[in-house]
Amino acid sequence: MCDTCGCDHEQSHTHSHETRTVDVNQSLLKANEDAAVSNKKHFDDKGILAINLISSPGSGKTTLLEKTIEALKDKISIGVLEGDIETDLDAERIRAKGVPAVQLTTGGACHLDSAQIHRGFHSLEHQLHGKNLDVLFIENVGNLVCPSFFDLGEHVRIVLISVPEGHDKPVKYPKAIRTSQVLIISKSDLVQHFDFDLHKIKKDALALNPSLKIIVTSAKTGEGMEEWIDFLIHRLHR
Amino acid sequence: MHEVSIALGMLDELFRIAQENHAIKITRVKLKIGKMSGIVTDSLKFAFDAVKLEHPLLSQAEIVIEEVPLVYKCNDCHVSFNAADIYFPACPECGSGNLQLVSGEEQHIESVEVEI
Ligand SMILES: Nc1nc2c(ncn2[C@@H]2O[C@H](COP(=O)(O)OP(=O)(O)OP(=O)(O)O)[C@@H](O)[C@H]2O)c(=O)[nH]1
Ligand SMILES: [Mg+2]
Ligand SMILES: [Zn+2]
Ligand SMILES: [Zn+2]
Repeated sequence: MCDTCGCDHEQSHTHSHETRTVDVNQSLLKANEDAAVSNKKHFDDKGILAINLISSPGSGKTTLLEKTIEALKDKISIGVLEGDIETDLDAERIRAKGVPAVQLTTGGACHLDSAQIHRGFHSLEHQLHGKNLDVLFIENVGNLVCPSFFDLGEHVRIVLISVPEGHDKPVKYPKAIRTSQVLIISKSDLVQHFDFDLHKIKKDALALNPSLKIIVTSAKTGEGMEEWIDFLIHRLHR
Repeated sequence: MHEVSIALGMLDELFRIAQENHAIKITRVKLKIGKMSGIVTDSLKFAFDAVKLEHPLLSQAEIVIEEVPLVYKCNDCHVSFNAADIYFPACPECGSGNLQLVSGEEQHIESVEVEI
């Protein structure tokens, strides 16, 4: 190996190295995108509907999952992958509802990626003992920016914005809105306590993504839960 | 700072490209980043320049970023136009809101200059 440049040539150094331009023209996130394609194929082969929930910390993702499980546990088979930076508190909350869950801790990273989903899904399968899933929920790390860059191979991406966060979030976080198919405006029971303009948030979100489905929910009053469950069932039988 | 994650993902791609081309060094990386990609180009550059130092193959690589403007095409009168942002765009010719995005969301490695 030559000292000057670290090449494989035995002695140093009379030869020169050629410079060449390689056309690449591919996504910066190709490795993740390839893994997402293979996750999706895996889910399709098994007939599983995969749903990726993204939001800021504390918008109500786990609470929505708990309510969804209560409503559907006896009708369909549900599994959950829980993404957090630390702890398995959220996976514990899901297991307490009687549904298999695997906690994925990223150890600092602010989003899940497709390789983590692949590994997580296989360890979830160990808990299923051969039973098939109808729906796999993936709760992403609480963060409204980074998760929107990382396709996990999901069929549906759902973004939650809760009332206390304010109605200006769609215009401040356009990528989350543009890459999702559903917006859940959560904690609607708090609307009267905040200057929250439901009309404006819907208008802004639709301007960014005209085909977005918007559901207004409250885990407290139950508002919108029926619409949400109907949406899920329809999507499942599509 | 998703730019750090993106820079790390980019390293993996660059190693793969280097290996495929039997490169001993990567000297330049050209990126195309759309104005509406959600990637802050300065942050990405900063992150890449920080992580590249650990890797002799990349430590001298210069990152060159072309920012791609936001361009729409009108589905009604077929005119193409640049827009300042993605909120409520309308065709400057006919006023239609029936538009398609032509560019502005790119997040691509365009080319890589290697030494072989
Ligand atoms: N008032 C009200 N509070 C809610 C509602 N949904 C959730 N919360 C509360 O909001 C807090 C956060 O809810 P979580 O479900 O843990 O939120 P999360 O999005 O899973 O949070 P992270 O996983 O930490 O990002 C809890 O104290 C919930 O009780 C709601 O509809 N109304
Ligand atoms: Mg949670
Ligand atoms: Zn981040
Ligand atoms: Zn027009």
